[in-house]
Amino acid sequence: MNRLYRILTSSLLGAAVFAFWMWLFPQDLSYQEQNQLFLFTWDYLGQRLALPGGPADWLSEFLVQFFYSRTAGALIMALLAILLQRLVWRAAKTSSKRDERSLYVLSFIPSLLMLVYQGDVEVLLSYPVALILAVALCPAMTGARWNRLWLIPLGWWLTGPVILVPILLSCIRSRRWEDLIILFYTGLVFFAGYRLLAAQYPARDAFFGLNYYRLVESLPVLQIVIPAITLLTIWLCGLEIRLSRPLVPGIVTFIALALGTFASVRMTYDKDTHETLAYDWLIRHERYADVITRAEKYQPHNPVSACSVNFCLFMNGQLDARLTEFYQCGTEGLVLPSIRDNLSDITSGELLWMMGMPNLTLQYFFDVQESIQNGRKSGRFLSRIAECNIVNGWYDRAEKYLDILSQSLFYRKWARSRKAMIQDESLVAADPVYAYIRSVRFQDDFVTFYDGLDLMMAILYNQNKNNFMAAQYYTVWQRLKQTEAGQ
Amino acid sequence: MKRWFTLLAATVLLAACSGKTTLVDDLPAIYPDYIGVTIPAGIAPLNFNLPEEYTRVYVRVSGSLGGEIRSRGRLASFPIRKWHRLTRQNAGGTLHFTVLGRKDGVWTQWRDFILYVSDLPLEDYGVTYRKIAPGYTTYSTIGIYQRDIHTFREEPIIESTLTPGQCMNCHTANATDPSQFLFHLRGGHGATLIQQDGHREWVTTKTDSTLGNVAYCNWHPGGRWFAGSINPVRQCFWTGDQRTIEVFDLASDLVIMDMQDHSLIVDPRLTTKDHLESSPAFTPDGKTLYFCQAKAYEVPRYVDSIRYDLMRVPFNPETGALGEIETVIPASQDSLSISFPRPSYDGRWLMYNQADFGVFPISHKEADLWLMDLSTGETRPLDEVNSPFSESFHNWSSSSRWFLFSSRREDGLYVQVYIASIDENGHCTKPFVLPQKNPRKLYHGTLYSYNAPDFTKSRVDFDTHGVYREVFSDERIQATVKP
Repeated sequence: MNRLYRILTSSLLGAAVFAFWMWLFPQDLSYQEQNQLFLFTWDYLGQRLALPGGPADWLSEFLVQFFYSRTAGALIMALLAILLQRLVWRAAKTSSKRDERSLYVLSFIPSLLMLVYQGDVEVLLSYPVALILAVALCPAMTGARWNRLWLIPLGWWLTGPVILVPILLSCIRSRRWEDLIILFYTGLVFFAGYRLLAAQYPARDAFFGLNYYRLVESLPVLQIVIPAITLLTIWLCGLEIRLSRPLVPGIVTFIALALGTFASVRMTYDKDTHETLAYDWLIRHERYADVITRAEKYQPHNPVSACSVNFCLFMNGQLDARLTEFYQCGTEGLVLPSIRDNLSDITSGELLWMMGMPNLTLQYFFDVQESIQNGRKSGRFLSRIAECNIVNGWYDRAEKYLDILSQSLFYRKWARSRKAMIQDESLVAADPVYAYIRSVRFQDDFVTFYDGLDLMMAILYNQNKNNFMAAQYYTVWQRLKQTEAGQ
Repeated sequence: MKRWFTLLAATVLLAACSGKTTLVDDLPAIYPDYIGVTIPAGIAPLNFNLPEEYTRVYVRVSGSLGGEIRSRGRLASFPIRKWHRLTRQNAGGTLHFTVLGRKDGVWTQWRDFILYVSDLPLEDYGVTYRKIAPGYTTYSTIGIYQRDIHTFREEPIIESTLTPGQCMNCHTANATDPSQFLFHLRGGHGATLIQQDGHREWVTTKTDSTLGNVAYCNWHPGGRWFAGSINPVRQCFWTGDQRTIEVFDLASDLVIMDMQDHSLIVDPRLTTKDHLESSPAFTPDGKTLYFCQAKAYEVPRYVDSIRYDLMRVPFNPETGALGEIETVIPASQDSLSISFPRPSYDGRWLMYNQADFGVFPISHKEADLWLMDLSTGETRPLDEVNSPFSESFHNWSSSSRWFLFSSRREDGLYVQVYIASIDENGHCTKPFVLPQKNPRKLYHGTLYSYNAPDFTKSRVDFDTHGVYREVFSDERIQATVKP
């Protein structure tokens, strides 16, 4: 198995993974990026390092911020896939001087499994990053013997529970009596570390990984299966099997793996979820026509998709004319009520902002941000929250948000420009977006709630006849209401 | 000799810093505004920042009764031990601050200012509070914390990460004594946690005869009883640019729990449908229960018509019997609304909140603290501590000579904890915000409010081990209704 062959196949993996994220599922990258806000501050680093697996988490968040750019995101995902595969192969190398291993193709399995697992958009990048770090520790752990006493707590702090991969590998390889002590010691480290660093988390979360998955109270099976298979793969790849013609079975296995991955991705990637995410990603980049084009081919039947497509129809001047061509679910498909998740209300928040309801936008975006279950903030949502405060003239609060955003990489420039703007009221008044929203917003202060949203649209239009959006949405709202009543 | 040496050192330092120091006849714009505040001896150092453009700070603090400390760096930051020694040495005196800041290589010296060190001790261990994003209907992480007010040490009592999906209400200790406290956990596995002398139990306070679980609670000083209001809380939203959210109760009742047998006193006068009851508080002698009551209106339509009066009712600690209900302040007659009455633990004062309407003063910009002299019944606004923004959630120190409250004066939204003292005549001092190691970095950089603060006499001892299992096991003590 020559070096060129390995480089070529690793590169092929990288190219495939790059293409996968770049052209097939770029919306997933955007979703990951908008559910965290990496800050270049010591406090931020300190918060992450305070937990087991925190360094891997910090590193992954550092990487995910680059998902702001689709190309950079796809490139990072490709590099991580290659890195995991290369490290698995490296970890499989035993102390034997003769390197006669032919099961090279199996080293691709963890990377491909990871790709399948990432079809679940709530899988955090810290999981593959932690696994990569753990696999990277395999050679050190294998030869460490009693040095494992300090390597294990360090590794657990660095990566979290996936550190079991190198620990178990070292025990399998050495098979000495001391390994029993090491395993017992590992249990002690996990328990003591939990009480010391993660006492404010359920024990199950601490033992299965605090930062591997966004949703709380969830433990996907693959989160346990992948490290186990990685361990198995390392062991298999380490077997000194010398095939006389390794190329043919290698290619066959390679094709089988590719087909298996393709089939698994088809099975695990939920089409509706990814389509809904795609709408959100396209709307974020103001590619409204692309949403309509996608919806013409396939549209998920859920209120979020209806709301997104209707909004894009409006932005393209087609809402009234083409309403019935797309999936509708009553007035909820125009503007969603407040829903406690980190995706559903984004489009509703955006359209309420354009319509002249900054307070409702503020509520929606605040709640969307607070609905990120692992407690992270969002550059995208925080930016809109800051803007709502600017429109309301609440500059002290806006400044707080802008200063936080200034500590990030991709929102810094925007935040600084806005901070300069709020120092001078005339600049805010001259900004076309803020000036427009101020001109169309409610002139009176009254309490409102979702059930009265159509009346609010009518009020907006009556107080400013230039508010075409309010008029159009009001009209369509009545149409949908009548349709609902007719049903 | 030492003083001369210090002066000489400071002069040399200043000379070394710059050839020229600009003198400004103005007070420095320090953050937080500690100028003229009154502090207790032994409080955590009052570190402060100058405006961001000042890259270096030099501060000299000298006590009127002796002692001196200095600080230089990016912010004024004082060593804890030296600060404690200085403040204790100057209890009853003043601290004199000389502040210099460097901007663009040039040093500026402002007019000196002083702050007062009270001779009233504040011996409580610290404060407890809930940290929560000041948002709308959702939260991501929330937690109850305790903070040693003599240092900067903050530690969690319980965080929502331990009980995912469950929201935490205010932590309520018995007159600052953490050996008896409770808080309510809301959500699918909600319950009221009651910990007494290290033993905790999870109680379902909702019964067939009551609206729901208790939310705002207050312990009877004897420890056998606690009063709680049941508040199904909802929110609606404002359209203008003055306020955002209105929090209101769909309905609310008031009950009293007997901890001896986990039974509730459900008095029909406090559970009427046409009235809302909230914010119970026992007097320190345990013989009177203060609370707020309002006429119920259709909500959210007439939410701005709901105005609470201050009421009281005699309470028999032996039997739990309630006497005749009496209106103490008919605030609704003046189109005002009262909430959160808090009698001082020495029985001298009653502090409460007054706003234009409603029961959730934290979202009311006009909400202020008021003080009632319980010996005369006279009331007055606490102008010494109030600001143009909301003040609310006040509580007394165990000695009743200090009080804390939460205020939105920083930016109109994010709540911080302020502490002030009160003398025997009811005069209050200028409050100071809870000191932090780097105040601007912490207060300006946080996305959390310091909500529902209270003093704690000693450190709260709460072992999180087993909490997750206890919460999700749904093993509860079911409260009953007293016949």
